[in-house]
Amino acid sequence: MTTTISQAKLQEVLDKITQEVTEKVAGIRLYQAVITPGEKTCTVHADFHSGFQFGLSMCADLALFTRLTQYMMQQEEIEQQDIEDFVKEYFNVLCGHIAAGLFQATMIASRFDVPSFHTGFYQPESMQEQITLNYASDKNESVQLTHNLAVR
Amino acid sequence: MRKRIMLVDDSRVVYIQMKQLLAESSYEIAEYCSSGEEALEKYATVRPDLVTMDIIMPGMDGLETARILKNEHPEAKIIMLSSLAYADTYKEADAIGAKAFIPKPLNKDDVLQTLDKVLQG
Repeated sequence: MTTTISQAKLQEVLDKITQEVTEKVAGIRLYQAVITPGEKTCTVHADFHSGFQFGLSMCADLALFTRLTQYMMQQEEIEQQDIEDFVKEYFNVLCGHIAAGLFQATMIASRFDVPSFHTGFYQPESMQEQITLNYASDKNESVQLTHNLAVR
Repeated sequence: MRKRIMLVDDSRVVYIQMKQLLAESSYEIAEYCSSGEEALEKYATVRPDLVTMDIIMPGMDGLETARILKNEHPEAKIIMLSSLAYADTYKEADAIGAKAFIPKPLNKDDVLQTLDKVLQG
């Protein structure tokens, strides 16, 4: 982590953008809260590089990702592959907005890799949590956004 | 006759979304490429009126693809289509010769107005 942005400011950027983008793209409102995840969860992850080096993961109840996909596809009937594809695209949009938010705060440009999708909770090896934001959705589903740094 | 777009994006979601947005417009997706490499391979054959190009893709990213495409085909009209909508990326896209930048998430009016503007320009 560089010293170009404080942890508090980074947390503020991540929180604001996550809530805004999730509502705009997925039609889902998030509120900061710690709730127990459901039995089935999935994680979407992307590695940032260039100006900022960190991993960003979102682990959420499958029910939330299902709703997200139905909203984005504008249809109720969806398949598992649709969930994976639409969640990755949603996260792509989220990461892009986060990169823009970080640029606005620091004038440092960053890029990220294509998101990956995982069943259950996923944390990359050799990474440790630095910031974790916990949310409950408007339908009481669990979402956890984690900012990871490489273990030195 | 509908104007032909080559859509370059690794995500089929964007292809689905653009197809829906363009459904009743004067544009059609003539070719969908899921990578920069595929776009470079097919451009000369497809000869689209416009290319929309994502930035974050596996392998060659969209900015590099656009750079090579403009070198090989200076007449190509490229519109970047990405969530990386901030000053640094706009500057890089502009330097490459992209005609416009459409931010994600896609907005129908925004997309159609930008396509019209680039084609008329």
